[in-house]
Amino acid sequence: MSAMKTRDVEMEPETEIHRKTDCRAPSPGEAAGPESPTSAVPLLSLSLSADYSNKPGVLRNLNLEMQPGEILGLVGESGSGKSTLALSILRLLDLKGGKMSGSILLKGRELTTLPESEMRSIRGRDIGLILQSPMSSLNPALKIGTQMYETWRAHQPGSRKQCTPRFLEILHSLNLDADEKFLNRKPAQLSVGQAQRVLIAMAVLHRPSLLLADECTSSLDLITQKEVLNIFRQLSRDMGTGILFISHDLLAVSALCHRIAILRSGELVEVGLTREILNRPSQPYTQQLVNALPVPESSQQ
Amino acid sequence: MSAARWAAVALLAAVFLIALAANLFAPAPYAKQFRQDLNHPPTQQYPLGTDELGRDRLSRLLYGMRISLLLAPAAALLSTLLAAIVGGAGAYIGGVWDRLTNVVINLFLSLPWLFLLLTVRALLPLDVPALTSVVITFALLGTLGWAASARIVAATVRDLRNSEFVLQARASGCPSLRLLLRHVLPNVKPILIAQFWISVPLFILTEANLGMLGLGVTEPLPSWGNLLRELENYGALAHRPWLWAPLISLVLVMSLFQFILSGEEYAS
Repeated sequence: MSAMKTRDVEMEPETEIHRKTDCRAPSPGEAAGPESPTSAVPLLSLSLSADYSNKPGVLRNLNLEMQPGEILGLVGESGSGKSTLALSILRLLDLKGGKMSGSILLKGRELTTLPESEMRSIRGRDIGLILQSPMSSLNPALKIGTQMYETWRAHQPGSRKQCTPRFLEILHSLNLDADEKFLNRKPAQLSVGQAQRVLIAMAVLHRPSLLLADECTSSLDLITQKEVLNIFRQLSRDMGTGILFISHDLLAVSALCHRIAILRSGELVEVGLTREILNRPSQPYTQQLVNALPVPESSQQ
Repeated sequence: MSAARWAAVALLAAVFLIALAANLFAPAPYAKQFRQDLNHPPTQQYPLGTDELGRDRLSRLLYGMRISLLLAPAAALLSTLLAAIVGGAGAYIGGVWDRLTNVVINLFLSLPWLFLLLTVRALLPLDVPALTSVVITFALLGTLGWAASARIVAATVRDLRNSEFVLQARASGCPSLRLLLRHVLPNVKPILIAQFWISVPLFILTEANLGMLGLGVTEPLPSWGNLLRELENYGALAHRPWLWAPLISLVLVMSLFQFILSGEEYAS
């Protein structure tokens, strides 16, 4: 990442230029490149608005599509509605006093009209969420093993003993200590990086088809951040998980995502393939963001 | 915990054990009358003398302590449970329920607690068997003394309901009841335990107040409250100082509770 330049960014995921401001994911017929997954039925198709009682228009007619296995970066400043979008997709916005309207199609299935019991069975099983602060997102009173078991029991039967091999397997795949001792730790006994990986482990326990990662690398140091980004890349590649990577860090987003959507004041300003957004931003706000990316001293010379 | 507080805990535990095993330590049954020794001063046979009916004062004090020290925790348990159910459930469900329970809690807190107890106790039959009076007294303490604890529990649950880890659990599909029992409750448990221990001395003292006014545990059963009634006889206190024993033991137990609990508060 340190070698990254402002105007000539070497990116892995995409090859061809995709039409900017077109919120659709690349369709099978379009040349989207080998790393940009395509499918006949989009993984996620959104058309929604959201309001809070004291702040109307937090999201305004936001239209967005994602393909299975795609990593879509959602970038915007604080208060632009990024986290509101994540909670809206899970239909949990009412917990924060918000109200959402519109349509959310997950693999062609409308979520907004589902009864709460069905929606609950989708949360965690089909859509995983990783929140910003790992230390406050883990229950301080419960051991890691218990929290993983609770996540498991939300959708699957089985005793703690039966589930333990699966927990250890996931912990191992995330470079965590895969042993009982680790499962018996409380969150306070973990580093921030370990806690974030535990959250990822819990979010992917049921192999969801969509993962909402809400600012989940913002509190991490650079080395841990890189490790987490690699994990996301691996999840997308190996498990075909679509990832909505929400962040205000354009640098991290550009290192990971196939496409980037720029959100400002509740509206999508620009959507496109990562390289296109970084090299030829068409909107003034996107240009501002791209120009704000740090450039190493040597590159400037 | 400091050595002084450990010593206080040990002393309080000893008082509890002695009171619980009153039948082993008491020189005589609490109701047995030694009619030849009415109002007897302390002797080897009667370490604290006898009362006007010839009953051994030490035995009555030990049995009285047993009743207070057993039933105050029972009443504290009842009030803590009510606090958890009313305050916790209202705050967890939120919305109208939260507002409604808040109103009820505020209403209970706005009433003078001792006055409320006296009124309700006076409304209930006073001429009841001794054992029934015990049940009535401590059931009243438990059912009327939950409001302060409920307010604290409600505030805690409200914070937890809005916490990130509860949001994370909801996002993982955890059902609402399981969320309450497995995620919220473990975090409320320390608050409930603290409220329980704070209520125990409060209820011991309140029973003593009721007993002194003749509204608590009735004779022949002894309790700290009805033993303190003898202090009404000011004239006798000067030349019969052993009558102070129930008050001194009550002050000692209250001081130990206060010392231990305040230390915990500062430590936390």
